[in-house]
Amino acid sequence: MGVPIYPVHLEDPLFQGFYDGLDAGELRITVDAETGEWVWYPPEVVPGKPDAVLEWRPVSAEGKAYSFTTVIRSLLPGDHKAEVPYTVILFEPDDAPGVRIAGILVDDEGVEPACDMRLRFRPVEAGDHRIAGFAPVH
Amino acid sequence: MKGNKIAITGIGETAFLRKGEETVMQMMTRASLAAIADAGLTPADIDGHVSNKYVGHPSEEVAHAIGAATRRFTAVADTAGGTATTGDALRLAQLAIEAGLARHVLVPYAIRSTKPGGVYGFHAREPQKAGLEMPAGFFGQPTYFATMANRYAHEFGMSEEELASVSMTYRAWAALTPSAQKRDPMDLNAYRQTPMISTPLRVADCCLTTDGGGAYVVSAVEAARDLPHPVIAVQGVGIGYNNYPHGVLFTQKPCTFDYPGWDSAAQAYAMAGVDPKDLDLAQVYDGFSISAIVQTEMLGLCDRGEGARFYAAGHAKPGGRMPVNTSGGHMSGGYVPGINLLIEAVRQLRGQEGDRQVPDARLCAVAGLGGNNHSTTILARD
Repeated sequence: MGVPIYPVHLEDPLFQGFYDGLDAGELRITVDAETGEWVWYPPEVVPGKPDAVLEWRPVSAEGKAYSFTTVIRSLLPGDHKAEVPYTVILFEPDDAPGVRIAGILVDDEGVEPACDMRLRFRPVEAGDHRIAGFAPVH
Repeated sequence: MKGNKIAITGIGETAFLRKGEETVMQMMTRASLAAIADAGLTPADIDGHVSNKYVGHPSEEVAHAIGAATRRFTAVADTAGGTATTGDALRLAQLAIEAGLARHVLVPYAIRSTKPGGVYGFHAREPQKAGLEMPAGFFGQPTYFATMANRYAHEFGMSEEELASVSMTYRAWAALTPSAQKRDPMDLNAYRQTPMISTPLRVADCCLTTDGGGAYVVSAVEAARDLPHPVIAVQGVGIGYNNYPHGVLFTQKPCTFDYPGWDSAAQAYAMAGVDPKDLDLAQVYDGFSISAIVQTEMLGLCDRGEGARFYAAGHAKPGGRMPVNTSGGHMSGGYVPGINLLIEAVRQLRGQEGDRQVPDARLCAVAGLGGNNHSTTILARD
């Protein structure tokens, strides 16, 4: 299986914390600093609270797949033929129900992807940055 | 808002091409003039305009291009896809006509799917997608909808044959439709020969790439009685909205394929005073086979979770008990979001469709997915 290589444009600082987390070997998502509630994806404005401050906090490395798809023809801008196939996972951390993080399936030899399959996070090198990888829990 | 107050009095389309030469403005103008002529009107009769925020041409440009007189009413549909063209625009037209602000409202639409940047360019400009999804390789409508299909199959069960039956059904209708883009017969073997894009969705499970346009004219029912065609009344319109922006639409909703179509259908049937068993046919916004399956359920054509098996049983095919997408839909007929489905509904209800005419068609539902909104419209022959 391949790995998608697409540049991370961090002109928008809203997402820097996610990639800082991957560099530190953690999955991090945003919370409302006042209430501690998950707010994901990080929005430009927290609903009803334009003054709210977001903080990045780690979430469980274990969880399950809400859904998946194996990409055969990449639709990313540019030429990505050499990177397919890969399987995208929408990952739900155990301690953040309803939150979904996009990443790819790794270490999946002999395992068919499936909804609700148990997974464990590990970062994956993707060119000059890391993305979220999720390995089946046997 | 009550039903049977407005009617669709004129319809027009351009050719649907894989790659055309005309601009969006040229195609909109061509389709609009055809619709106005079809209504037995002239551009000078058009005094209301509903434009579409995704097309990029405001109504003054359209009015100028068609040679219309002074505009008395303009509005912009604030939704996407089929919701805008088959739901929102009709509501706005009815508001204008009932308020006495316009007599004949033009609704045009055109698309150049082959434009530079591609059809997914607008997703690439969404910060959350660019920041969190594209680096993970999660990008493009077929990929988004593929994850819906896999979740749907997990919850309700869906075989490859059942999924394939959706596009095979629409292709069977396209084979009877001279203007359809894809008319070659497609059996299961031919379906399997189409390239896989993102499992389980193949090219055959996706809407076409189309350069084309469509337009229609809306008038009061009383005015429609003086015009050339049978009166095709808008008997019910429902629109379901929710507040998930495009940036989170395909990942963070509790159920990613739970479009607000249950709500729109309930509104439309209540306004029309009918229920699904009264329908003679339906047009369903088929961006992808999975979204058509779900909307077929939302229209009440079958039970929840039974949409794929409804198609596999042949109910929606030519000769079936509930024909769906009778000009091939967006997957075989042409992708001019929503509007060509509405136009086909009008043609069927007029009873002039030749080989593909649904016998004695008098009531048709049109389901219009548009981002995270959804419309259901019930059209009736007076």
